[in-house]
Amino acid sequence: MSISGRFHDGLVAQVHAVGLDYEHAGSAGTLVIRAEDRTELARWPAADLFAVHGRKNELRLGANGQPAGARVVVKGSADVGRVLATLPVLHEKRRQQTGREVRLAVTATVALAAVIGAYLYGVPLLASRIVGLVPPAWEQRLGETVAQQMEASLSESGGLQVCDADPDSLANRAIARFGAAALEGTGSPFDLDIKVVKSDIPNAFALPGGQVFFFSALLEQAESQDEFAGVLAHEVGHVAHRHGMEQLISTAGTGALIGFILGDMTGISVAAGLGATIIDGRFSRDAERQADAFAARTAESMDFNPAGLADLINRVGADDEFARALALLSTHPLTDDRKAALEILSRQRPTGLEPPFTAAEWAAIRSMCGEPAVTAPARTKSK
Amino acid sequence: MSSVQEQPVQVVFTGTRAELAGMLLRGYALLIPTIGLYRFWLATWKRRFYWANTEIDGDPLEYTGNAIQLLLGFLMALAVFVPLYGLFFYLSTQSSEAAIAGYSAVAVLLWFLMGYAIYRARDFRLSRTLWRGIRCDQGGSAWGYALRRFFWSLLVLVTAGLAYPFMAANLWAYRYRHSWYGDRQFGFVGSWKQLARPFYLAYVVIAIVGAVGLGAGSAMGGLPTGGVPTVEGVVVMVVAAALIGLMMLYYRSREISRMFSAVRLGQAALTVTVRARGLLGQYLLFGLALAGSYIVLAIGGLIVLGSLASGAFVGGEFDPQLFMQALQDSMIVLLAIVFGYLLLLGAFSLMVELFLGLGFWKLVARGATITGLDSLRTVRARGEDTTLAGEGLADALNVGAY
Repeated sequence: MSISGRFHDGLVAQVHAVGLDYEHAGSAGTLVIRAEDRTELARWPAADLFAVHGRKNELRLGANGQPAGARVVVKGSADVGRVLATLPVLHEKRRQQTGREVRLAVTATVALAAVIGAYLYGVPLLASRIVGLVPPAWEQRLGETVAQQMEASLSESGGLQVCDADPDSLANRAIARFGAAALEGTGSPFDLDIKVVKSDIPNAFALPGGQVFFFSALLEQAESQDEFAGVLAHEVGHVAHRHGMEQLISTAGTGALIGFILGDMTGISVAAGLGATIIDGRFSRDAERQADAFAARTAESMDFNPAGLADLINRVGADDEFARALALLSTHPLTDDRKAALEILSRQRPTGLEPPFTAAEWAAIRSMCGEPAVTAPARTKSK
Repeated sequence: MSSVQEQPVQVVFTGTRAELAGMLLRGYALLIPTIGLYRFWLATWKRRFYWANTEIDGDPLEYTGNAIQLLLGFLMALAVFVPLYGLFFYLSTQSSEAAIAGYSAVAVLLWFLMGYAIYRARDFRLSRTLWRGIRCDQGGSAWGYALRRFFWSLLVLVTAGLAYPFMAANLWAYRYRHSWYGDRQFGFVGSWKQLARPFYLAYVVIAIVGAVGLGAGSAMGGLPTGGVPTVEGVVVMVVAAALIGLMMLYYRSREISRMFSAVRLGQAALTVTVRARGLLGQYLLFGLALAGSYIVLAIGGLIVLGSLASGAFVGGEFDPQLFMQALQDSMIVLLAIVFGYLLLLGAFSLMVELFLGLGFWKLVARGATITGLDSLRTVRARGEDTTLAGEGLADALNVGAY
């Protein structure tokens, strides 16, 4: 008994109500499509048949070698079951097709995972290579632009007012000497420009191109030369490693990668932001550790304890429980971890070195933004 | 062929929300191990569902595209985006003025490219749409469409929106006059005149309601420069916003109905009736479903957090200090954040697809009737469209629907 179905020949937009028969001829079978008056419309060899995706309880068949749009459609689970039972080749082809797609999806996924892995481990290396290609003059201009933008955004509160405008004052000369000594031998193309500026925010940072800003609020909280010199050496480390530029490059790379994963190249979704934060945070923490290590190396030629920088950071903002819980999202390593690492690095410091600043210089630095509220305690030897 | 007036044929949609929901949930789950790449397969399955369940005169549409074409298209779109990314990076290092000028230029370029992407995406979908064994297709030029859309949108901008009906009618006409079913070309008999009345009515009402709402609302203290807004002021502004939303739905329903109803294919004519209350119903249902799913997620989240950090919830009181201590391990917190975020995002896109995507498709399909279908029995197939990959740019620019 033939199975009833609908037939489109793929040439004209006609519908034929048809009866389907299956003829065995040795091992090869043929699907015979007959109109209601039993005239033969088409013969499709079973080996050429394939099923296309349709809705539930509907089987749509096409055949290789036939017009691309030619279809036989069988409806109803009973009839569909009969056709599938007669034509095991359909299952086989569907399985092959699914297998091909799964293999392709797996290959693509593995390739993407490899790209992500290579990115995570390669970018810190790659970024420092690329940074080497960036002309120093360009980076300097960039730093100036950033400084201008910062100044503009702070203009309401008076901008970045330099504490001691005289570059030849005792404090400024001492700071410049310290910076130059720290940068010596690194082959850095930049001239350091360290500015101590008035601000209520306890912070210090380095911009691309050699500018370092040290905010007065942080200076006021520094209890010893160790702490001040440690933070300053850390910032010089950022300059020496050109971390500002490196970070720009890796942020751009991360954005592109996340956009690729999410398919949203405009990168405006929260997912893109979160993903980028996690990856960039990782790079940034690496950079902080590098700068810490730089500070420790500097302390091998001058007598200060670089672990003081962790003490100062801890004093202005100790890690709270929240920061600990979200450490993987943070741009900085946890202060405790940094202190521990710095203490290990500074264990083999040579003895008999000169302190970075004389007592007079340190006093001048302490007072360059106006007299500090509390007089500095006498410099203590490393704790 | 008989000259007897044919009965108009009602378009039927046979898919169910549950079926789509199952497919989407499975797809979302597969997105995670494939690092997002399954989206091409998910889009393909979704289209197969929509196409195969849309039945015209006993025969459903068939979507013949596959995921690999979408994947290739996306890779090709990257070729456009990588240089743009480089440009973005370069601009971000320039002085503020240069950066702003540069960003604006890139934004304008993207707006232009969007028109290209929309047209190409439509071409891709049409050329992979089969009905009664005959394929649809789209001719015309994607660059031409992009230019048209770009200059029209400039005009709309300059005229504060007043030119919109002209732009809409013009673009609808361009799209349909370059569409084909087999060897028969679609036609379009609509004009801006059909859009003018509902558009300008909605425009005036929105302008008045907006001005009155904002004026009265801020006079009543709904928008204080500092402090807490008053209840009356906020109520007035919310009511005004709701009215504006209703007017927008009203206009949208008219544009859809009138423009779709102007589509012709030889002697066959499409009529679509979509009512504003139908659109409103969709949005209300979507809102309810979204709120419901978020309540369920919130309860689930509390239970999970409670078991992770049970100490913080002792005695029915929440102790944030203890809670944070329980979350000391960064990895677990990070996983929780990412997983929670994915769940929220997944619930949102699931509800968008189930209630707005499917809802809209059903509304249009069920409101559609076609006359003169018998005249299509003489349509013949045209040659193959050999474009292998498409739509990548649309995917990358987020302009794809369905």
